[in-house]
Amino acid sequence: MMIDRRRLLAGSSVFGAAMVLGAPALLGQAKQRVVVIGGGAGGATAAKYIAKDSGGAIEVVLVEPAGEFITCFHSNLYLGGFRDLKSITHSYDRLTANYGIRHNRQAATQIDREKKQVVLADGTRLPYDRLVVSPGIDLKYDSVPGWSQAHEETMPHAWKAGKQTEILKSRLAAVEDGGTIVMIAPPNPYGCPPGPYERVSMMAHVLKTAGKTKCKIMVLDPKESFSKQGLFQAGWEKYYPGMVEWLGPKIHDGIKSVDPKTNTVETGFETYKNAALVNVIPAQMAGKIARDAGLANASGYCAIDPETMRSSVDANIYVIGDACIAGDMPKSAFAANSQAKVAALNVRGELTAARVFPARYANTCWSLIAPDDTVKVGGSYGAKDGKIAALTTFVSQTGETEAMRKEQQAENMGWYAGITSDMFS
Amino acid sequence: MSVSRLSRSAIFAAAALAGSEYGQAAAGGDRAFGEYLSAECVTCHQVTGQATGGIPAIVAWPEDQFIAVMQAYKAKDRDNNVMQTMAGRLSKEEIEALAAYFGSLPIQPLRN
Ligand SMILES: Cc1cc2nc3c(=O)[nH]c(=O)nc-3n(C[C@H](O)[C@H](O)[C@H](O)COP(=O)(O)OP(=O)(O)OC[C@H]3O[C@@H](n4cnc5c(N)ncnc54)[C@H](O)[C@@H]3O)c2cc1C
Ligand code: HEC
Repeated sequence: MMIDRRRLLAGSSVFGAAMVLGAPALLGQAKQRVVVIGGGAGGATAAKYIAKDSGGAIEVVLVEPAGEFITCFHSNLYLGGFRDLKSITHSYDRLTANYGIRHNRQAATQIDREKKQVVLADGTRLPYDRLVVSPGIDLKYDSVPGWSQAHEETMPHAWKAGKQTEILKSRLAAVEDGGTIVMIAPPNPYGCPPGPYERVSMMAHVLKTAGKTKCKIMVLDPKESFSKQGLFQAGWEKYYPGMVEWLGPKIHDGIKSVDPKTNTVETGFETYKNAALVNVIPAQMAGKIARDAGLANASGYCAIDPETMRSSVDANIYVIGDACIAGDMPKSAFAANSQAKVAALNVRGELTAARVFPARYANTCWSLIAPDDTVKVGGSYGAKDGKIAALTTFVSQTGETEAMRKEQQAENMGWYAGITSDMFS
Repeated sequence: MSVSRLSRSAIFAAAALAGSEYGQAAAGGDRAFGEYLSAECVTCHQVTGQATGGIPAIVAWPEDQFIAVMQAYKAKDRDNNVMQTMAGRLSKEEIEALAAYFGSLPIQPLRN
């Protein structure tokens, strides 16, 4: 009965938009509903494009507890003093007003896949026709021996933007000249591959600007190599000589333990006692809501169909952003935004018979090394061999001109303005 | 020839003079298709037509100039690896569709 009415409406030009707008109560369930979990780079974009491009034919509910979103991207620039906190904080008001998206300010506590319902913190059950899941990453608080969530204020991670970023920033400001900063870098895969190293650059910049050039930043990395390594190391050498030392696992021989009481980090190679600041960036996995729903595999992340972003385990669910397994694409806000658009198109294709085109994805990540010196890495991607595969990629070169590096920083700032207006307005 | 720092009209003029493919590109692409394709562009470019930082405005251009510039990135006659990558995978029809879509948008005044 409901379905018939929906069909009738969809196919009818007599009962036009006025009818839909004028009698929502009468039509009741006739409108199909998409629930989006998470209002970050992936979720906000998906909610917008589904609502905007379906022209009101699909009801979109955004489930996100926060009233405003602080971007993790460019939080390193806040740390470095290149942005203020306000400029990386965004309201959902225009997004919801412009496209008629309903923002339900609660956390989702469960996905009832059988019943196609999302359970909210207050117990409400939200039925969905399709569900988009974009909860980002969760930190593995037990991945660094001796460190846990109870220690995240003493040894901040700052891998979720907001209070954590502010703690790291004020702790950095308090470091005295000659102090040692230890960063424990994360293992793959994690959100934003060049992120930790951009952060090292920003910390060194802050110290240098304050004249504290006798400080030392020790980067203890579980990885043999890292994103844009040559570019970062050349930059550190050029701008912050003697201030940054990166050690791979063969040299430090593993993090044996950390002691938040004494700010001590013990590796197989050396013990750093009474560090002025310890930044622990732990291992990561898909957000709890996705894992609890059985959407993640043994890797801790969620497998998807590269043509559509649909979950490999549930045809009514799409998983995008940091939580999904995106093949050759890195976990980035740019990538999440790009995946959201593919998911949105396919959701509309299923629910409103919108024309669907082959998936195309893109990414670019800029990293600021020093004022006016920015490098980038990026590429375009498509579905190939059962995964999202890189089609063409590019990366900055060492020895680029100063003018070019400066231009790339301007691109970086322009991109931030672009993606945030794409997400939030 | 490197024309990386030439203006779009200079590129267009140069291309037209040389009688190259993109100098004569026809306008009149599929606007609806262009709207779909444009989602990929507005991660960087503002749909309002404002230039921000190092990201130029691409709204309300004459279609033929838009096409000429995109073809120049595609052919790597114009530098910038981001735009070379974006244009590199676009077909002639797709570029025309984008030109039609962005060309049809109004430049909106700045907010606030
Ligand atoms: C320091 C740092 C620097 C970075 N720099 C860059 C950069 O320069 N460029 C770039 O492209 N990317 C960068 N990133 C990566 C980027 O922030 C992420 O890749 C991107 O935000 C992922 O988008 P997402 O939608 O998957 O998750 P997020 O943006 O993290 O959003 C997830 C949202 O889901 C909500 N949520 C979670 N669980 C629930 C639930 N159960 N119910 C309701 N809501 C829920 C959260 O509140 C959150 O708002 C950086 C990341 C960090 C940490
Ligand atoms: C990753 C960010 C990014 C994305 C995505 C992007 N662009 Fe660009 N675009 C740029 C930058 C940066 C420039 C300036 C390049 C230069 O200096 O030549 C530019 C330049 C241009 C220009 C020339 C502007 C001028 O004034 O000369 C056009 C046209 C253009 N882009 C169209 C597009 C289209 C169409 C798309 C989508 C298919 C797109 N761009 C996607 C970053 C981007």
